Order: sequence, then structure tokens, then C-alpha cells
Amino acid sequence: MATILAKFLLLLFTISICNAVTIPTPISDSHRSAALQLFHGSSSSLEETYEALRVFEILALENKPDVSSATCQNVVENLGSSSSLKDLFYALKVNGILKCKVDRAVFQGTASRLKATVNDASTLVDIYYTIGSLVLIKDQAPNVDVLLADADGTFHSIKALSQSDGRWRYSSDNPESSTYAAGLALEALAGVISLASSEIDQSRVNTVKSDILKLFDSIQKYGTDDGTFYFDEKFGGGREHQGSLSTTSSVVRGVTSFAAVTSGKIDLPGDKVLGLAKFFLGIGVPGSAKDFFNQVESLALLESKRVPIPLVLSLPATVYSLSKKDQLKVTVNTVLGSAAPPLTVKLVRAFHTDAKGSAVIEGKELQYDQSSGLHVLSVFPDNVDVGTYVFVFEIVLHDSGSENDYAIGGQIRVPIYVTGIVKVSNAEIAVLDSDLGSDETQKTLDLAGTDVVSLSANHLQKLRFSFQLTTPHGRAFKPRQVLLKLRHETKYEHIFVVRNTGKKFEIILDFLGLVDKFYYLSGRYDFELTVGDAVMENSFLRPLGHLELDLPEAPEKAARLPPLPVDPYSRYGPKAEIGHLFRAPEKRPPQNVSLAFLILTLLPFIGFLVGLLRLGVNFKNFPSSAVPATYAILFQLGVAAVLLLYVLFWLKLDLFTTLKALGFLGAFLLFVGHRILSHLGSTSAKLKSA
Amino acid sequence: MAKLIFVFLTLIPILCNSFTPEKTSDRRILVLLDDFAVKSSHSLFFKSLQSRGFDLDFKLADDPKIALQRYGQYLYDALVLFSPTIERFGGSIDAAAILDFVDSGHDLIVAADNNASDLIREIATECGVDFDEDTSAVVVDHSGYAVSATEGDHTLIASDDFIKSDVILGSKKIEAPVLFQGIGHSLNPSNSLVLKVLSASPTAFSANPKSKLTSPPSLLGSSISLVSVIQARNNARILISGSLSVFSNRFFNSGVQKAGSPTKHDKSGNEQFFTELSKWVLHERGHLKAVNVQHHKVGETNEPSIYRINDDLEYSVEIYEWSGKSWEPYVADDVQVQFYMMSPYVLKTLSNDKKGRFFTSFKVPDVYGVFQFKVEYDRLGYTSLSLSKQIPVRPFRHNEYERFIPAAYPYYGAAFSMMAGFFVFSAVHLYNK
Repeated sequence: MATILAKFLLLLFTISICNAVTIPTPISDSHRSAALQLFHGSSSSLEETYEALRVFEILALENKPDVSSATCQNVVENLGSSSSLKDLFYALKVNGILKCKVDRAVFQGTASRLKATVNDASTLVDIYYTIGSLVLIKDQAPNVDVLLADADGTFHSIKALSQSDGRWRYSSDNPESSTYAAGLALEALAGVISLASSEIDQSRVNTVKSDILKLFDSIQKYGTDDGTFYFDEKFGGGREHQGSLSTTSSVVRGVTSFAAVTSGKIDLPGDKVLGLAKFFLGIGVPGSAKDFFNQVESLALLESKRVPIPLVLSLPATVYSLSKKDQLKVTVNTVLGSAAPPLTVKLVRAFHTDAKGSAVIEGKELQYDQSSGLHVLSVFPDNVDVGTYVFVFEIVLHDSGSENDYAIGGQIRVPIYVTGIVKVSNAEIAVLDSDLGSDETQKTLDLAGTDVVSLSANHLQKLRFSFQLTTPHGRAFKPRQVLLKLRHETKYEHIFVVRNTGKKFEIILDFLGLVDKFYYLSGRYDFELTVGDAVMENSFLRPLGHLELDLPEAPEKAARLPPLPVDPYSRYGPKAEIGHLFRAPEKRPPQNVSLAFLILTLLPFIGFLVGLLRLGVNFKNFPSSAVPATYAILFQLGVAAVLLLYVLFWLKLDLFTTLKALGFLGAFLLFVGHRILSHLGSTSAKLKSA
Repeated sequence: MAKLIFVFLTLIPILCNSFTPEKTSDRRILVLLDDFAVKSSHSLFFKSLQSRGFDLDFKLADDPKIALQRYGQYLYDALVLFSPTIERFGGSIDAAAILDFVDSGHDLIVAADNNASDLIREIATECGVDFDEDTSAVVVDHSGYAVSATEGDHTLIASDDFIKSDVILGSKKIEAPVLFQGIGHSLNPSNSLVLKVLSASPTAFSANPKSKLTSPPSLLGSSISLVSVIQARNNARILISGSLSVFSNRFFNSGVQKAGSPTKHDKSGNEQFFTELSKWVLHERGHLKAVNVQHHKVGETNEPSIYRINDDLEYSVEIYEWSGKSWEPYVADDVQVQFYMMSPYVLKTLSNDKKGRFFTSFKVPDVYGVFQFKVEYDRLGYTSLSLSKQIPVRPFRHNEYERFIPAAYPYYGAAFSMMAGFFVFSAVHLYNK
């Protein structure tokens, strides 16, 4: 059950995407241009070539690509050699369109070869290709003998594969039955009948006819009252799954070819034929060549007078503007877009979708305009106001005898939108202190213009806004979309639906009850009015002005403003550059000041030297004997070396080198210092004692 | 036999390769459909993918044989879900499997539609996109609808509010509005990865077109997103559309005239919009790579293991963009490098030579510690680049300070004059008589 439901939904979906317009329109120029695009260029196989040629033939395209010479060569090659049945079949089909020069002997040879294999063929597909090829040879070379000697036997062997529900099996050892195969079988049976040398037993033909009717009992339909019918293949393993389009077109091919060769009538219900036509048209313009071919060929076969010819009622437009005084136009065509027989389109009834009981138009015949081929309702009656309507049409053929030749369906319901300009008036906006209201702050607005108001209110006040909408016929109009939007500075929006009472639309915003909803956000609110409806030509979005709202402070438990969407452009921009702030160097005096102070620091030394000279220093105490004199010199040199080491320490040496050198110098200095000092000491002791 | 095994063994790496931008040919996309009719009715979109070198594998969504991965290897590089009504996928695929597929860096295109199934909604919600909860709601726009003689309910919208990003939508401006018919969604404000590519106009709203509007619609105005994209942190890209028919041949080929606008375009913007968008989603544009990060002191070429404070250094990186066929030099003037320790000390915009090389030079700050060179390039539509390279910074050594400071000369002068005085005094004191 679930899968059936799923499939049903799936099919609903398919039609919704393929066919948004409820009424399918016949094949038009868009199909022709799509055909040229799809079948452009060379085809790889004869089957594809045939499909392209057949589509061009049906659509009567003028500027089709010319491929006949190359294709004919391919056809002749395939006919001559012992190619597969399928290739042979399509080679003959291509030849049927291109009419290549093929020797009669070639046909003769092929025909006899095929006739020999007819009775050996075990599967339905083989029989289909064999019989199909023979029928094609019969058409293309009338004087070649293709008649089957044992037509009855062949007929029986095909019929043996049929199932009780009207479907067929592909071969006798395959129990699975298929709708697609039914189409092939019917076409093969039609071939057998036309190839039979003697009349096929009528009773057998009649059983096949009843099979066809049974097959039509298994037809599927979309939705409830859409009236679209199609055939679908049940899911089956093994063989390649055929879509509903190819299945349906196979059945159409089989039924129409069978109907063509039998004399009696097949009582196909007209509505189902029309439903099939609707199915094919509902697909729109398929994007794949195979689908396109199936669609166009099936439509052509439906129009070939072997079954009731479906007539399609379509409307160039379903949206009519009262302001532009549009005329209701209806066309009736065959599925391929050719003219219909003389007929009258009757508008049975038209009613508003909200008031199904009361019809606005009843029993009116549309006028036929010979030049444009349109059936026209020149003016809408006065009681048709803006709104959505359902128009019910009926086709009446002038020649009542031909009713069985055409499938016209019953009543056709079409949704129609009648649009017009809606008058907006009496817009008033006011801030009220109480329900009664004081008229002091009341302001009128021309909603058709662009003027705006600026208001201010606090949480104890109310805002009242009202306006009226009237249709072109002066009635009250209720659009679907009447929304008042308040947008705070923070971009947070509040939406209110404006309700109507009679003609008047009114909304009263009681701010006391709304403070919570407004998240206690005071400040400027911009407000906008949106009025829109499907039948309103002047739907608008209009800024009305702004309101300075003074709301109380939020209590602690109040809800916080939910997060607002972030603008993506701001989130991704480059960041501002950052430069490092380096530590400023310490302040130093100018060099001249330093040098001046350097000189100042040297002055005491100079003073010291001058003082010494003034005192009259001498070196008379310098030892006179050689050894102490040497020690004295070494001692002074040592002191000088230490001091020099200090200078060098400043200039270039590091601490470790300095300390090392100082160690050696210190030891040396200690030794020589001790010697010279003890010498000087003993000299002065001698002097004292003396 | 041995030869066969050899052929098989050489094929294994080819068969097991998953998506990389380096591999252009033979990128496989799994397309899951509700009905094979979609293959034909949306053939222009599929053809544009195929002509760009993608290998499409069409399957029914409820086909019991479908699988995304086999033996731990993903079989496809991207997934297209054109099956809005599917309630349960066939085979081993479910919502979690699809999210895993995205989490491993693969791309996803999802089309929902009227009566989209809960499964599709769930996948979208996981991506930060919330479709209208009312299942019968569609987007209606009474002011921005596409003028049509046969569609009167204004659910066919002509939208021209595109995201302003050349990388997502291509550098060629989309002139014609995009036709849209389907359901709207809103973006989760806490999700910073999801972007609105096509927004509805301010007059649009999402509601059931058949019923009266009694309460404010949950989705309204330009906050309705019609088509959104997500770029995950692993650079997987997702496209979510509220309509399947936007991809159809009918919409691709249809003319469009927006209500209230006098210009009638012969062809809607759908084909350009979705072709360009699919290029972005499938990483044919906006995919960056950064190579060859270098830094050194000014005047040197080798990368040092440590910098001293106040050193002048040069930093360079090469950035390339994937064009669908080859890596092209990336040109931009907003690539920035940070010299970072807990917070950026230096943030500088890189200059570029239009050949993909971005460079700058700056002075190392006078703070020592372990720094990082960081390039955090996160731009709308581009894959994000995040490079970082650690480098320590030391202070001056003892002998790297200044030695002869003029301001100190008086002190030196005083010391040395005193030392000279000491020498003179010692001689005078010892040998004077």
C-alpha cells in the first residue's frame, strides 16, 4: 500500500513538474524548434535515424538536416547483408521515409529469408521485427511476394503469449507479462493479418479485440478528475524497465495498427483516447530524443483516424485583465495542432471559486472567429468581477454524425483568473490614548502616493490604521495578503495581519499588550503595508512612515531578542590592519651637552695635575739601585696595564677576557707591589732609625 | 590469467580514487530521481554537467541497489538528489549516510519541491536550512511574480535578488530574472556557513495558496531564501533549492517578464544561474590552494630557525585557484598575514604580483616568545585557507646592545680621569720626597 501511495505521489509530482498548466496545449512551434535541437547532427544507429526522420516527417519541418545520401548507403548495406533483425527492421523503416534506390532482388532475398525464419522465431520481439519487416517490404516493393503461407499458425503462436488481463508475455518460457509487450504483439498481429494470404478467422480477430478492451481496463489515471490516462509497466526484474511513456506509446502503436487492418470497429472509449492524448501532451517538450519520438509518433497515430481523433480545447491565456478589457479566447485543435472540424464551443457555466452554487455566466456560445481560428467571448458580463473563477466548456460538433470519429470529452473545467485594478482609499492612521480616541493625531494617507507619516507613541497608547479596498465593480475586495510590518532599528521585524470588517480593513495595535512581543525595545519603528492578491493588478508594498515608540525598561526576566541573521558580506571582509607599537627609545641629551659634561668631568684631573706641579712634586724617593728600580718600574707598568685593561674592557673586551687578564695582572702586581712597597718600607724604617 | 590479475591490480588505484580537484576527468555523480521522466525533462541541466566532464549515474531513489560506498571507498564524488518526494531511499542510503558523504568532503545538490518529504527536509535541516513547516505552503509573490498568461496564482516567481559574489555566480552578470516555483526556506541564524544565493523579494510570503491568510506567515519577505548554498568547514559544498522545476528544460527555455517591469527577456536566467552555481558547487570555481610559504630576513634567502626582536623579515605565499581544468594564479588584494602570539601583533595585507605570489615585509615586534605566521583567508564563496607556521622570537644578546652611548661619555670621562689621577697619585705618593 505504501509503495502504491508513494508511486501515486511520484506521478502527481511528475505531472506537476511537466505540466504546470492544467490544460495541455497541442504541439506547437516550441516543439519544432526543440526537435531541430534534439535531432541535430548524425545519429549513431538506424533506429535513431528513423526516429529523427519520423519526427521531422510528422512535424513537417522544412529546414531539417539532409542526411539521405549517407543514410541510404547504410540502409542498402543493412538490407544486403545478413544483419540482425532489429537493424533490418529499422533499415526498412528508414527506407520507407527516404525511398532509397533498392533493387527488387534485394527485397526479394530479404523477404524470403524473413519468411523462412517466421516460424522459428520464439520470442515476441523476434516475431515483431520479422513481421514488421515483411509488412514494410510489402509497402515498399508491392510486387515482392511477402504473403505468409501459414498466417493462421503465426497468428496463433503470437496469441498464445497473451494473458487473461490483456497483457502479453515476451516468450513462452518467461511467465512475466508486460504491457509494453502487448503493444508489440498487437502490432505484430496487425502485420500478420495484412500479410495473410487467406482471411484470418474473424473469431480470432474478435478475441484480440476483446483483449484490447481488457488492456484498456488496466489503464491508469492521474489524480481524480484530470482525465489523463496512461499505461504503466509493473516493476519487473530481468528486462529493462520501460517508462510509462514508452509503454503507453507502444500500446498506442499496437492498437492503432491493429485497428487499421481490421474491418470491424474497436469500441475504444473516447474519453480514454482523449486521456492518452492529454498524457502525451502533458509531458511538454521532452529532453531526450527517444521520449520526443515516442510522444510525437503516438500523437500522430492518435490523429490518424483509426481511433476517435482527440480534440484538445486549450486557452491561450487563463489570466484576464478587466482593466485591459481582455477577451476570453478558446482554441480547439487536434493534438498536432491542425484545425478541428466545424464545431461550437459552449460556455456551460462559470462560477466563482468561493461561491460554487451561483453561476455568473450560464449557457453561452462562444463566437467563432474565422480568420484567427479562435472561439471568442467578446466581453465579460458585468457581474464578472475580479476573482478566481471556474469556467466549464463543452464542445459541440456541427456534424452530429461524426461524433464517433472524434474524442471530445465531456465538460472541460478551466480555472480562470480575472484581474483588475483595486481602488485603495480612506487610509487613516492615528495614535489613540484610549479606545475612543482623540482625533488630534489622526492623519490621512493617500496610499497611491508616496507620502509618509511620522508618529510617536508610548506603551499606554494604541495605533489604529485603517483603509478600504474596492473592486472595479465597487464591491468590497478581500486580498489574501494584507500585512503590516513593523521593523525596529535592530532590523527585527513584527508582522501583523490586517483583518477586515466589511469593506474596511482595520488594525489596532495595543502597545501595552505588545511590549513583551516587542522585547521592550524602544526607538524608531518603520512600518510598511503589503497588500497583494493574485487577481489584484496593483499589489503593492508601501512604506507608511515611522513611529517613535517609547516602551518601559525591560524587567529582568524578559525574553531576550533572538539572534538576527548576520549579513554575509560583513562576515567575510578583510580585517583592519594591525601594526605593532614598538617601545619608544629612552630620551637622551644632545651630543654637545654630553661632550660639554665630559670636558667638565676632566677638569678636576687637570686641576689635580696643576696642583701637584704647584706643590713641586719630585721623584727623589725613586730607588736608585737596579733591582728595586726594576720592581718600581714594573709595579707602575702593572698599574698602568690594569687601567689600560679597563679602557680595553670598555672599548672591546668582554667581562670574561677582562677578568682572566686581570687575574694574571693582579698576581703580578701583588708580587712586584709587595717587593717595591717592602723596599720602600725598609728604606723609610732605616731612615727613621737613623 | 596472470595478465588479467595484473590489469586488475593496476586498475585498483584508478577505481578507488575519490574526489580531488586535481583529477578532472571521470568525476562521478550519482543522480537520484523520483521518476526517470526527470532525466528527460531536466536534460539541459544534466547535459551541461556531462559536457563539463562529469559522469552521471542516474538511479531511481528507491532502487534497492543504490549505494554511496563500497568497501569503505566512496563510489561517487557528488550526489544530486532530484527526488523531493522520496520517503526512504533504497539500498543502504539514508540521511546519516548522505551527511557522512558530505562530511567526507563530497558535494551535494538537493532539490525539494511542493510536498517535499520529511527525509529531504531532514537533510536540509542538518545543513542549516529550514523549509517552511507547513507542508502545503509555497512561495507566493503578488508583486514580483513572472508575468504569464496561464499562471494566475503568482506562485511562479521571477527573482533577481542574487548574492553579490562573482565566485559563486560567475563574473558575467545574470541579466534575466530566475524563474522559481516551489517552497521557501529560512536560514538558521546560528549557522555561519550557509548563504542565501537567491532571495525572494520583500513582498513574497510562504503560505498555502488555497487558504486564507489568518496568521502572519512564518516566512516573509526577503528573509525567504529560494536557493541556498553551504560550504562546510571541510570545503564540501551543498546546494539546496526549494524547487526542482527551476532545473527543468521548461524553465531553462522559457521567457520571463517580471511583473511591473517593461523588459521581457527571451530566456530566463535559470540556465545561466544554475550552470554557474553548479560550477561552484562542484568545485570548478572558488577552490584555492596555498603552496610555498616562505619567510626570511630582508636581504637573506634562507629561512631562519629563530628571529630576533626588531628584525626586518619578508613573508610570501603562493595561492592558486582551480579553474576546472588547471590551477590559475589567484589575484586578490585582501589576503592578509598575521604575526600571532595569543593575539595578532601584526596584521598586514599582502601585495601580489598577479602571478599567484603574495608577499609583504614587516619588522618583528619587540616582544619575544613563540609566534606564528597565520594566513586565515575566509572569503565569500572561496574555500577557506588556513596556514600557520610557528617561529620563535628572542631578545637581544648581551653583546648586541649599543656600546658607545654619547650620553654616557661624562661617566666614562669621570671614571677614566679618576683612574689616570690614581696612577699619577700612586707614583707621586710612592716616590715623592
